[in-house]
Amino acid sequence: MLHVAELVVAHGERCVLNGVSLVVQPGERVAVHGPSGCGKTTLLHAIAGLVHIDAGSIRLGRQDITHTRPHRRGVGLVFQDDQLFAHLNVADNVSYALRVHGAAKRERLIVAEEWLSRVGLSDFQHRHTASLSGGEAKRVALARTLAGGPNIVLLDEPLSGLDDELHDQLLGDLRGLFEQLGTTVVHVTHDRAEGAALCHRSIEFATLSDKVASRQT
Amino acid sequence: MSKPVLHPTLGRVAALVVSLWLGVFLVIPVLTMVGGFVQPSDFSRVLARSSTWRLVWFSLWQSALSVAVTLVVAAPVTWLIGLHRFRGRRLLRAVSTVGFLLPSVVVATAFLAVLPRSLHYTMFAVVIAHVYFNVAVVVRVVGARLELLDVQLMNAARILGASPTVVWRTIVWPLIRGATAAAAAVIFLYCFSSFAVIRVLGGPRRSTLESDIALRAFGIGDIPAATVLALVQLVIVVGVIGVVCRLSGREHGLSRLATLPLTTVMHRQRFFAIGVAGATATFVLLPIAALLWRSVQVGDASSLAAWRTIFDTSLTASIRASARTALLAGVLGVALAVLTTLAVVRLGTIGRLIDMLSIVVLAVSPVTLGLGLVLTFDVGWFDWRARWWFVAVAHTLVAFPLAVRVLVPAWRTTPIGLHQAAAVLGAGELRRLVDIDLRRMRPAIVASLGLIVAVSLGEFGAASLMSRADGETMPIVIARLLSRTGDLVRAQAFVLASLLAVVCIAALVLVEFALGKSDHVARR
Repeated sequence: MLHVAELVVAHGERCVLNGVSLVVQPGERVAVHGPSGCGKTTLLHAIAGLVHIDAGSIRLGRQDITHTRPHRRGVGLVFQDDQLFAHLNVADNVSYALRVHGAAKRERLIVAEEWLSRVGLSDFQHRHTASLSGGEAKRVALARTLAGGPNIVLLDEPLSGLDDELHDQLLGDLRGLFEQLGTTVVHVTHDRAEGAALCHRSIEFATLSDKVASRQT
Repeated sequence: MSKPVLHPTLGRVAALVVSLWLGVFLVIPVLTMVGGFVQPSDFSRVLARSSTWRLVWFSLWQSALSVAVTLVVAAPVTWLIGLHRFRGRRLLRAVSTVGFLLPSVVVATAFLAVLPRSLHYTMFAVVIAHVYFNVAVVVRVVGARLELLDVQLMNAARILGASPTVVWRTIVWPLIRGATAAAAAVIFLYCFSSFAVIRVLGGPRRSTLESDIALRAFGIGDIPAATVLALVQLVIVVGVIGVVCRLSGREHGLSRLATLPLTTVMHRQRFFAIGVAGATATFVLLPIAALLWRSVQVGDASSLAAWRTIFDTSLTASIRASARTALLAGVLGVALAVLTTLAVVRLGTIGRLIDMLSIVVLAVSPVTLGLGLVLTFDVGWFDWRARWWFVAVAHTLVAFPLAVRVLVPAWRTTPIGLHQAAAVLGAGELRRLVDIDLRRMRPAIVASLGLIVAVSLGEFGAASLMSRADGETMPIVIARLLSRTGDLVRAQAFVLASLLAVVCIAALVLVEFALGKSDHVARR
C-alpha cells in the first residue's frame, strides 16, 4: 500500500505541493487528474524520490521511504518522454534494472525477450532506440519499468502525443497487462477518459490560490 | 531550372581566397622547409641521435602527465557547471576559462610569482601551469556535453535501481566518453608543443620538441635538424588529431537532448559546490593576483618603479608592437575566418575539405610556422622577414581556426526561411549575405575578433622566431627580461605580464558577452 501524508514540496519560494495526501491499495490503479502545472508530475517525482521533500511522509508497504534514495525505493516510473538510453539497444534498455543488480548477460537477455514479447515487440531486442516509433518507444519504456519488478508503477502521462488510434490501442494493452500482473499504479493524466479507462478510481488535483490540495472524487 | 536560394558562388569565391591564403602562407613554407633545407641523410643523422628520442619521450610523458592531472583537477568544476543551475554559474564558467585565454608566457610568469623559489624550474611548476591553461578545455568541451545530458535520463536510471556511481558508469560516462577523450587530446596537443612554459618554468635541462626546434633553428643554426624535428612533431600531432576526429564521431544521439533543463544544486551538495567554486576561483585568480603584487615589488620593498618604467622606450615599443600586430591579426583573422565559414556552410565536399584544412592548420606548431615563413620569404620583393606585419600574418594562421569553430555553429543557426523570404522580396545573394547572415553573425564575429586579438597578444612561438629587435612583442620582451638578473628588470617583466593579463581578460569578457548575444540571436 502507498500512503502519502501531508506532503510539502517547495521550489525556492514557490510551494508546489502543500499538504498532499493520497492512499493507494495494493493492486489498485489510481488516476490523478489536473490542469498543467498543478503539481501532478512533482507528486510522482516526490514518490519516486527525485525531488527534495520539505515536509510530510511517504510509506510503501510497511516501509517509510520519505528519505530513501531513488534507487532503493522499488518504485517504477514511466516518463512522459520515455527517457530511453540512446547509447543502449532496446534489449539493454529493458534489462537495465537487472544489469545494475548484477544479473548475468544471458539472464538479462531472457528477461528482455520475455518483456518485449509481453508488450508486443518480440523482434526488437537489437534495435537502436533512435529507430523506434513513438508507440514502440512507449512500449519499451513500459517494459523497462516492469522488468525491474517495482512494487508500484507511476505513469507520467505516458500516452500523450500519440495519435488516437495508437493511443486507444496502447491504453487497452496497458490495462490488460496491469490486470494480468495485478500491478499497483498511480497514473497522472489530464485526460479524464483515459484515467477512467485504465484505473479503478480517480483523484482530482484541485488548485486553490497558491495551495494545492488533493480531493478524492 | 531556377537557382537554389543558397547559391554556391560566394562560397566558391571564399574557398578560393582561403585556399590561396593557406597555400601561400602555410603550404609553400612547409614544403620549402622540407624540400629546400633537408637531405635524406639529415633524417638518419637526427633520428639516430638518442637525444632526439629523449626529447620525444619527454614531450610525450610530460603531456600525458599534464592531461591526467588536468582531468582530475577539472572534474569537480566541470560536474558543477555542466549539470547544475545556480547563481553565478556563468561567472564561474568565465573565471574557469581565464587561464586558457591568458598568454602562455603570462601564465608561466604568474607561476614564477606565486610559487616558492624551491618549486621554480621543476616539473611540478611545468605541470601546474599546463593544468592552469587546460582546465578551461575540460570545462568547455566536457561541460558542454554534460549540459546536453537530460537529468531525467539519470533519474530514470536511479529509479531502475542504479546507485549514483552506477549511473555515472553506465549512463553518464558512455555519453561523455568521446568529449572527454577529445578534451584530453586537445590538452595533449597544447602540452606536447609547449614552448613558453617550458622555457620560463622548465629550467635549462628541460626541452620539448617545440623548444628544441627553436633552439636548433636560431640558437645553433642547424636548420635541417630543426626541420626534421618539426616533421616528427607534425606526424605525432596529426596522429593525435586523427584519433580526436574518430572519437568525436562516436557520440550517441545527444543533439536531440539539447536545451533540456539543468538541475539545481541539492541541499546536501551545497557545501561541496561552494567549495568547488571557491577552490576553482582561487586556483585561477591567485597567480594573477601574485603577478600584480610582484609588479609592485622591487627586491623586498614595495615600489612603483617598475610601472613608471613602462613609459621607457623599449617597453613602450613592445606594447605598441603588440597592439598593432594584434589589431592587424584580428582584422585579417576575422576576414579569413568569415570566408572559411562561408565556404564551410555553403559548399558540400569542398566545404568539408576547407573545414578539415582549418583543423589541419592547428597541427602545424607556431614555431614550425614561424620557421617556415622566415625561411621562405627571404628573397628580393618577398623578403618580408623584417616587416612588422609579417608577424601578424603568422598570428592570423595560428588563431583563425579557433574563430572558425565559433563562427560555423553560429552561422548554421540562420533559418533557411529568412533567405527564402529575402529572395522572393528581390534580395540577391550578396545582399542576403550582408543583410541576413553577417547581420545575425555580428556578436559571433565580435567574439572571434576578441579571440584572435587575445591569441595574437600572447603568441610566443612564431613571434620568438619572427620578431626583430625593434619590433619585439610583449611576450618576447617578458621572456627576455625574465632571463636577465636584477630586481627591477624582473619587476618590469611582471608589469608587462600584468598588462597582458588585464587586456586578455578584457578580451575574454568581450568574447563571453558577444557569445551570450550570439546565443540570443540563434534562439530568435
